[in-house]
Amino acid sequence: MNRVLRNLYNFYAPLRISRSLTYMAQATEYQSFPFLRWLWQIQDFSAVMQRRSLEPTRAARLLRLGLLSGMFSQIILAFSLIYVSQNTPYDEIRWYGLALLVSYPIVWAHMLALFLALGRIIITEPRENRQAIQAAELFQKHPGNRIAIAGSYGKTSMKELLQTVLSEGLAVAATPANMNVVSSHLLFAQTLTGKEDVVLVEFGEGKPGDVAQFSAMVRPTQAVITGLAPAHLDQYKTLQAAGKDIFSLSRYVSPDNMYVNAESDAMLGFIKPKYQTYSRSNVLGWRVDKARTGLDGTSFELVKEKKHLKFHSGLVGLHQVGPLAFAAAFGLTCGLSEKEVKTGVGKTTPFEHRMQPYKLSGAWVIDDTYNGNLEGIRAGTELLAGLKAKRKMYITPGLVDQGKETADIHRQVGRLIAAAQPDVVVLMRNSVTADIQAGLDDTDYKGELLVQDNPLEFYTNLSNFVATGDVVLMQNDWTDNYH
Amino acid sequence: MQTVAVFFGGQSAEHDVSIVTALTSIINPLELTKKYRVVPVYIAKDGQWYVHEKLKNVALYRSNDLKDVLAQVKPTGVILGNGMKLLVPTRLGGRKTIPVDIAFPAMHGTHGEDGELMGVFEMAGVPYVGCGVAAAAVAMDKVLAKQLVYAEGLPVTKGVWFHSQMLGQDSKAAIRQCAGLRYPLFVKPAHLGSSIGISRVENMTELQNGLEIAAHYDDKIIVEEAVHNLVEVTLPVMGNDNPEPALLEQPLLHAEDFFDFETKYLNGGKKSGKSMRSGGKKMGSKGAQGYSRIPADLPKELSEKAVKLALDVYRTLGCTGIARVDLLIDTKAKKVYFNEVNPLPGSLYAHNWAQAGISRVALVEKLTAYALERHAQRAKLTTTFTTNFLKQF
Repeated sequence: MNRVLRNLYNFYAPLRISRSLTYMAQATEYQSFPFLRWLWQIQDFSAVMQRRSLEPTRAARLLRLGLLSGMFSQIILAFSLIYVSQNTPYDEIRWYGLALLVSYPIVWAHMLALFLALGRIIITEPRENRQAIQAAELFQKHPGNRIAIAGSYGKTSMKELLQTVLSEGLAVAATPANMNVVSSHLLFAQTLTGKEDVVLVEFGEGKPGDVAQFSAMVRPTQAVITGLAPAHLDQYKTLQAAGKDIFSLSRYVSPDNMYVNAESDAMLGFIKPKYQTYSRSNVLGWRVDKARTGLDGTSFELVKEKKHLKFHSGLVGLHQVGPLAFAAAFGLTCGLSEKEVKTGVGKTTPFEHRMQPYKLSGAWVIDDTYNGNLEGIRAGTELLAGLKAKRKMYITPGLVDQGKETADIHRQVGRLIAAAQPDVVVLMRNSVTADIQAGLDDTDYKGELLVQDNPLEFYTNLSNFVATGDVVLMQNDWTDNYH
Repeated sequence: MQTVAVFFGGQSAEHDVSIVTALTSIINPLELTKKYRVVPVYIAKDGQWYVHEKLKNVALYRSNDLKDVLAQVKPTGVILGNGMKLLVPTRLGGRKTIPVDIAFPAMHGTHGEDGELMGVFEMAGVPYVGCGVAAAAVAMDKVLAKQLVYAEGLPVTKGVWFHSQMLGQDSKAAIRQCAGLRYPLFVKPAHLGSSIGISRVENMTELQNGLEIAAHYDDKIIVEEAVHNLVEVTLPVMGNDNPEPALLEQPLLHAEDFFDFETKYLNGGKKSGKSMRSGGKKMGSKGAQGYSRIPADLPKELSEKAVKLALDVYRTLGCTGIARVDLLIDTKAKKVYFNEVNPLPGSLYAHNWAQAGISRVALVEKLTAYALERHAQRAKLTTTFTTNFLKQF
């Protein structure tokens, strides 16, 4: 009963509901369809803001003010109609008033979605087009080598690997963190001095045409494609469509300057004979040998004829060998000395929230919460399977934006997890939990399964669940707008 | 969902330590299991019991609001017999009944850890975590515990004991009783934990002072010879019929020093002055759980001897659930002596169990399972039977 009353209060208190709706708009980057999808799934508005809270930006303040004005106008109108109805013979006026009073949160939640859609057409898209034109001017006049990095996964890691290695002998600039949209590219382009030897630009992809737009803007001289896996399928619909968009880079880059990850099975149909490929066994004419990984990092050798170059990186996981070997071999082709390349590879350390190991209550925790695709799950579960531990724990909520294939993909996730044979699997209760469980059942998983209703509480108290000798792999994390 | 009532606070010098144990090491992990409804039962310093969700918040005890909150909450009643039921006052002036499925005592020291509270649970017939009445009472009496261990042929340090009353009547007799012991000596109140009231004395004058301090806290005093070449270790043990050890833990203090209450709890494990320095290296600076080395730095043979003695003591005293056995080791003579047993270790020694591979959540789950196991075993015993005794009158 208390819960019902609390829900009603959170739904009908204008200050509360306006804050929740504005937060939802902000968390979905002011996109109307994701906002609506979230809105229609909500059962408890008090639980909307769990991970973060509303950032009081100018746009958020304006939206909230608009919402409040609209809501209060409707409430005043509703009461006015109810009042007027007492002095008229028209009973239906009272009902109109009551309907307006009951419906104001629903009406204004949908009005907000409408405003967001209109705002995108009238404000955001024209602004992005202007920014793209400005950014294109800046990028295209840059004399350095412009390297585009694209793919469904691994692009931020590849960008940072190349930046770390190439910086040992060249002046390198790279787009910051995982910022890979037009507005952030414009800001980055404005910081370029023209003296950089290499400019690394990460291409984000969220919907068909994104990579093509970035390619036209940056006009890269070289491109690295890191992999293709189910991601953003709610927009792309098929993996083929996502691959087509990513490989639209080939319209601007000559085939021999296209570097492609040959370990990504989904990309094989897109690879042309003249493309250069890299993998954990071969890279740019080098053979990759003696690859080993552990919580202390990864080592491997590049071998060509009688030459053996040994490398060690702080990155964790055999899936890192291909990208690391590529960064090393690419560094050599760019004219760096062997010593510089070795030093550069040696400086690579785990990136935040991407296969980042740390100690917690005596246990080793591998934080891979920024991972978000099936290939990442495969890499993580392979790593977990290969590590020695007294007890292994695997934690995931599953993957987001997997479109129509979400059930199949999560069943695969379940099977991959089971193959790693963790002693404990922790899932976060959401729309894909049953599919992952089905995958675990397919393989007759014998370990302990915990399903957590409150992910934030679980992550916050992880230290209470682990002990010395445990190895814990945390893959992916869902923001508030996914359920 | 089973209801676990966690009892903490109490009329004891270790009231505050008990709050920390309950809130951090028991209530939070129990709630994280999602298997239990956890009810906090706070026993105030005046002995009144209180039940309220607010009492799970550690900030309340740090603030000055506790009295106000207790005044609002009002004391809780209890019904014993065929289980335990808490009678919790409601806002409207009525009382709601909360049946307790498992009792989890988090009490330290007198009126809680010493078997008194366990007696209440026994009377109620409710399963409870930790040692039973007899084991807790014996463990909390250092004199009785040593006598029992000694009688079982296990090694204890040489010492004497007497009632505090004797000091008032004839203090010289008490001193004379210690004449056969070799200095330095330790003077301890027989029933207190957390090193309260303990003195290390080098001569007769210090002995006199030490006895007076101990008599201030307890009606029974024990005086023991110090162990030379001392390494003090402690071992948390868990289980009923087949107890399992955690890891031997060694306090990081100077050998001649000892572990007093101030060092353990008030200074966050940091002893001031030069006694905390060993070879120029400052030690024990990691807070309340960072004052020790786990596992203890001992030769394998001595470690094994210590673990065996601790397990023997645990069984001899009839401990169940959980306890912590303190041992004294003469590293040159390679001798291990029983020192004392703590039937409810502070914070359950969860830091040690975690290093031994048992997480805080797993620890409380195991302890509740041991409580249910022991209760089931005892339920099989016949405790009443029909006689014609009354008909004879």
